[in-house]
Amino acid sequence: MKTLLIKCAVSLGLMLSLYALNVQTVMAHGEKALEPFIRMRTIQWYDVKWDKQQFNVNDEVSVSGKFHVAEDWPISVPKPEATFLNISTPGPVLIRTERYLNGKPFMNSVALQPGGDYDFKIVLKGRLPGRYHIHPFFNLKDAGQVMGPGVWLEIAGTAADFSNEIKTINGELIDMESYGLSNGIFWHLFWGALATAWLLWWLRRPLFIPRYKMLQAGLEDELVTSNDRLIAKVMLVGVPVLVLAVNAMTIGDYPNTIPLQASLDRILPLPAQVNAGVVDVETLKAEYRIPERMMTFTLKINNRSENPVQIGEFMSANVHFLNKDLQASYQGDAGTMTAPEGLSLENPAPIQPGEQRTMTITSSDALWESEKLDGLIRDADSRIGGLLFLYDTVVGERYISSISAAVIPKFN
Amino acid sequence: MSVNISKPSFQPYTGEKARISRAFDYLILVLALFLFIGSFHLHFALTVGDWDFWVDWKDRQWWPLVTPLMGITFPAAVQAVLWEKFRLPFGATLCVTALLIGTWVARIFAYHLWNYFPINMVLPATMLPGALVLDVILMLSNSLTVTAIFGGAAFALLFYPSNWPIFGMFHVPVEYGNGQLTVADLFGFEYIRTGMPEYLRIIERGTLRTYGQYATPLSAFCSALLCSLMYTLWWYIGKWFATVRYLNKI
Repeated sequence: MKTLLIKCAVSLGLMLSLYALNVQTVMAHGEKALEPFIRMRTIQWYDVKWDKQQFNVNDEVSVSGKFHVAEDWPISVPKPEATFLNISTPGPVLIRTERYLNGKPFMNSVALQPGGDYDFKIVLKGRLPGRYHIHPFFNLKDAGQVMGPGVWLEIAGTAADFSNEIKTINGELIDMESYGLSNGIFWHLFWGALATAWLLWWLRRPLFIPRYKMLQAGLEDELVTSNDRLIAKVMLVGVPVLVLAVNAMTIGDYPNTIPLQASLDRILPLPAQVNAGVVDVETLKAEYRIPERMMTFTLKINNRSENPVQIGEFMSANVHFLNKDLQASYQGDAGTMTAPEGLSLENPAPIQPGEQRTMTITSSDALWESEKLDGLIRDADSRIGGLLFLYDTVVGERYISSISAAVIPKFN
Repeated sequence: MSVNISKPSFQPYTGEKARISRAFDYLILVLALFLFIGSFHLHFALTVGDWDFWVDWKDRQWWPLVTPLMGITFPAAVQAVLWEKFRLPFGATLCVTALLIGTWVARIFAYHLWNYFPINMVLPATMLPGALVLDVILMLSNSLTVTAIFGGAAFALLFYPSNWPIFGMFHVPVEYGNGQLTVADLFGFEYIRTGMPEYLRIIERGTLRTYGQYATPLSAFCSALLCSLMYTLWWYIGKWFATVRYLNKI
């Protein structure tokens, strides 16, 4: 027994000692958890920017950008008939005050079209001070969360200063932080008091053993008295009458209520931004060399523009592989998801107007592994997808093509 | 020819016997309270779930159908034991009170203090009026059939009107984003829920469209019918799983 107690005490001590260690808070939220083929071939984000990353409680901050809905949408993922443009936050540390798709405000879920191009903007307002890792992302119905690029936001100030007042259609100004709270608490306390009174009415007398014995002895009539019956009858009539009366009063107080709104927004895509028909790219083959963490594409490129173009970037699942010779053309932020020299071309010479060239490009970086994209070769649907950015350096034009292909793994 | 059948007799407990019996009452009550806070709350969270968690899930069709239907389960089972064995008519009230204690604890600590949602966004519904009526119908009728039909129906029919005083004000319209929303919808839009996108809401879906806009009474009466059946089912579940064998040894 003594040994057992010592073992228990030691185990408990070891468990509690964990709290004394300087354990870091987990900051990730599963952005790499979704299978790679879904991250690569559903929502393809680009040009995502935050207008600021340090601000105060009650200040507004916006994130805007673009995304292409992949044409090569995976067969195992339901089509994007219901999606929700969301923000990954650790709870509502910010509130979302506005949201736009292609310049149109939308409040509900939205249907997207595969192959469509969209731009978005979300306006947020600081609510709780702290430092948070935030992503815009899409909830895809029956598929999961496809994350956009994340940033760290720092919100300064005091939580108590936060206010969120809105005006109803009737013109009443309400504070969303406290609206209906005291009324709700009142009714819970009211019915709780009545229920407590009913419970105490019975609990004040001897309960289980004596009542069981009396029931067995046929003394049932003594267990429920005439007073009990009278109170029960009053409650049988009084509770429903009270419920209906208070309900009627509430209807009188709020005559213009409406049901919850449950529509699905349908916003048409923009004119083609990706695969716009000026520079056509067809993927002939994709090969992933595991030891080198290197993806090689064989592409057939047809330049139908009036100027030479060069490949500047390949992007997939928010990882940007840049051609080092064209880094100046890159329009995104150079963050941890960017491989500045990750893209190399078999033939770096510009593709001339009217030229059709078959060439290989190679994107190599540890990001294939650290972002868990190399898991693609073990997916049931091992096709890659991404966006290829080509630049016309003469007039500063950018052409974007979506590419996709089955991936052939090379294990050695 | 008449037969004399002797009835078992019972002398009220006095002195030490009464004191121990009362201590036993308190022990059982405290244990029962925590048991029902935990188990009924878990059952409710798993079955009613989001309809009770969020103010923007409390619609006219599914909320008044699902909540009483899942909420009458534990009350029926506990009533079966407390009434049949002890003639105590507070099984439903006890269960729903325990549920509300557990729910409020979760809403304050888990939803508000841990996850930062304003409490008014996660106000729970109340089923206490229905539970009180269910208890008194059982007591006055002393009948499973009558309680199932009328008590079960009352439990369902009283649900929506007893909650409208709490939630009606959240259905006031707001003009927002070139459209109209309820205040409740606006909570769902503004206060970000990463894992609960709007399309997951099971609200206002179904075929209750051919009766104009009178979806709530139809849902409530459908719930009343189902509650009568559910009550009977769970009455027998309570009866089958309860035992008083230890009391017989006292």
